[in-house]
Amino acid sequence: MNAIEIKNLTKNYGTARGIENVSFNVEEGEIFGFIGPNGAGKSTTIRTLLALIHPTSGSATIFGKDCIKFAPEIAKEVGYLPSEVFYYDNMRVIDLLKYSASFYKKDCTKRIKELSEIMELDLKKKIDDLSFGNKKKVGIIQGLLHEPKLIILDEPTSGLDPLMQRKFFALLQEENKKGATILFSSHILSEVQKMCNRVAIIKEGKLITVEKISTLEENTYKKFKLEMKLVLDKNYFKMNGVNNLEAKDNVISFLFKGNLNLIMKRISELEITNIWIEEPDLEEIFIHYYVKED
Amino acid sequence: MNIFMREMKAHRKSLIFWCVGMIVMIISQMSKYTATSGDGQSLNTLMASMPKSLQAIIGSVSFDLSKLSGYYGMIFIYLALIATIHAAMLGADIISKEERDKTSEFLFVKPVSRNKVVTAKLSAAFVNIIILNIVTLITSIGLAGKYSKGEPLTSVIVNLMLGMFVLQLIFMFLGTGIAAVSNNPKGASSLAMGILLTTFILYNAIGMNSHLEVLKYLTPYKYFDAKNLISSVGFEPVFMILSALIILVLFTVTYVFYRRRDLEV
Amino acid sequence: MNMFLHELKAYRKSTLIWTCSLISVVLLFLAMFPAMSKDAADFKKMLDNYSPALVKALGFSFDSLFSLLGFYSSVTLMYVLLCGSIQAMNLGTSIISKEVRDKTADFLLTKPVSRMQIMTAKLCAVITSLVITNVFFIAAASLMASVVQTEAYDYKIFLLVSLPLFFVQLMFMSLGIIISVLVPKIRSVLPISLGTVFGFFILSMLSSSNGDTASRFITPFKYFDSTYIIKNSAYEASYSIVAILFIVVTIAASYIIYSKKDIHSV
Repeated sequence: MNAIEIKNLTKNYGTARGIENVSFNVEEGEIFGFIGPNGAGKSTTIRTLLALIHPTSGSATIFGKDCIKFAPEIAKEVGYLPSEVFYYDNMRVIDLLKYSASFYKKDCTKRIKELSEIMELDLKKKIDDLSFGNKKKVGIIQGLLHEPKLIILDEPTSGLDPLMQRKFFALLQEENKKGATILFSSHILSEVQKMCNRVAIIKEGKLITVEKISTLEENTYKKFKLEMKLVLDKNYFKMNGVNNLEAKDNVISFLFKGNLNLIMKRISELEITNIWIEEPDLEEIFIHYYVKED
Repeated sequence: MNIFMREMKAHRKSLIFWCVGMIVMIISQMSKYTATSGDGQSLNTLMASMPKSLQAIIGSVSFDLSKLSGYYGMIFIYLALIATIHAAMLGADIISKEERDKTSEFLFVKPVSRNKVVTAKLSAAFVNIIILNIVTLITSIGLAGKYSKGEPLTSVIVNLMLGMFVLQLIFMFLGTGIAAVSNNPKGASSLAMGILLTTFILYNAIGMNSHLEVLKYLTPYKYFDAKNLISSVGFEPVFMILSALIILVLFTVTYVFYRRRDLEV
Repeated sequence: MNMFLHELKAYRKSTLIWTCSLISVVLLFLAMFPAMSKDAADFKKMLDNYSPALVKALGFSFDSLFSLLGFYSSVTLMYVLLCGSIQAMNLGTSIISKEVRDKTADFLLTKPVSRMQIMTAKLCAVITSLVITNVFFIAAASLMASVVQTEAYDYKIFLLVSLPLFFVQLMFMSLGIIISVLVPKIRSVLPISLGTVFGFFILSMLSSSNGDTASRFITPFKYFDSTYIIKNSAYEASYSIVAILFIVVTIAASYIIYSKKDIHSV
């Protein structure tokens, strides 16, 4: 069963790029990462899912229902945390949370208390007087207080200190264990690596790939670093499967995916003084998705 | 200079809008003017003998409508109303917009003093109201030539526009002063408008009831009453001094309070 | 209901301020009535010296015009209408645009409510706020009128000439709403509402001195002519219909546009 199904979703902003033909599914119960550089179309996709904007073509469903047509119904089960939070003037934290809770037909008082204790948030303060990070906490609690089945987060960690981030992630993981599906957009790979089961990569409005984090981390990629006696033309390693080729003085480094014997043969022909073969982290795997193609 | 240019550009569209509105207003009103002939002279004297309060009700005005200058005097208050609304909103907006749009953090970490910022903003507002004034002046004089049937009107219009200019200055500085003092950037223009509306209604109330005459010092619109500016009374010294004082005080308030204020983020 | 209450609470202060201003205006002007009434009596005596033909040429009926109702409807209500319209237009223009400006649109629109419901709740809150203003205003005006009256007046007509405040407010409110759903981002509401209201106000002031009838359809201030109301104890059918049509059409259009509108991140 899929929590989210996105089919050929396209959104044009006049001449400016929005998203083009984006399709992917998020399974129920998984933590799904959605990453890409700034302006790649992450927010556009998410805002369409939330029916804040209307797709030019294509469609998306949440829990099997069209996300535009059944927006209010879907929203009962969805919690959303925008990247930037601003709330009504002249309200105390508790007023806002109560107002937020009043939209859902359940009693959330206990939950508000629980969450604010975890996030260490003073409920009696005026929202205007809160710091950016504390406003963010209000946003988090506001998005989680009705125990949504689907949690959508748009770059949620900015402004939270590392300690709070960890608490926040623990909170999310707990929700996930209870059965909540989480869609998590970010441009910070390490947090995605930590949290997610699967990840979609979007770039310049187009979906590049959807993969399991474990697949990406599997031994298919190796990071090679060689130190040689002599300075070598880096074109020596121009072959299939080699990525991110870099040369500095007599040190050459690259990522390799493919038949390891081929690359080892090539290396064996060289006079090397040192060699490192490591597991690359996600950052390095994705860097070539991030760099604009010429 | 860069701040000045930035402000000029930011207010360009609205200035054009206001100028067009003003021009349309003048054209639509001036073109309706048809000089009443000398008939009904006795009727005019009868009307003139009518108490002010009654005149106000039947919508008659104490201007000599057989002359274009009288007719222009009648519409002047509305031209002044448009110009002062523009000035007050511009003044309040230009000072408070940085905090409203949350750009204050951008602007005030730049190597400029707050005084310089205020000076640049005031200059930009000043140029804006001058442009609106000149547009009004030129349109009026141009149309007056067309409809006046030889009546020399230029000096009357220039006088009225001078009066309007001082009114603009008063309300512009009212706007900037309030914006500089007020803690709430969103409320500044509302407050300025509230004051403007109050003084405008007061102006009209005074026109209806002679007992309220003492209140004329409270409403700047009375300082430059078209009736006086058209006739030989001209500018009254007491009102000129009062205007200068008000402008000076508001000007100082703008600078002093803006320098001291804690900028909201 | 929660949204309605929330909105109503947000307008509490402004409703209070506007209600007080409207009441002050009506108190100020009605307080001048006794003096005017005396002026009118003196002038009437003086008129006896003129020929009846000339008096007739003045072209107005003395008793109705300088009565309490005449004074109230012609002069007083004009400024009340001006203030009330600004209030209504401010409210109308801000209901949708403030969510965008305060960046709370994301909050509200991801809640399990349809945009229709949001619009309805906000609309009801604004109308409630206007009704409150009107109720207090009419109560204060009636009270003041009974204090300053010199002779008995028809209270039904008094109500009939007072109610257009609400109708004109509804017109400006709907105008404001449609502007706020059409314009993508409104930085500040005041220039729009003031520009519009004062524009129409000046238009109506100057068109009255020229007396042309076609332009009466342009400005809401001219839809409910008090002379006609006092004379006929009724509103002019054609203008009432146009007013209702205008309100219904703009609000319906606002609903449709708003439900299809893209809410962009900020």
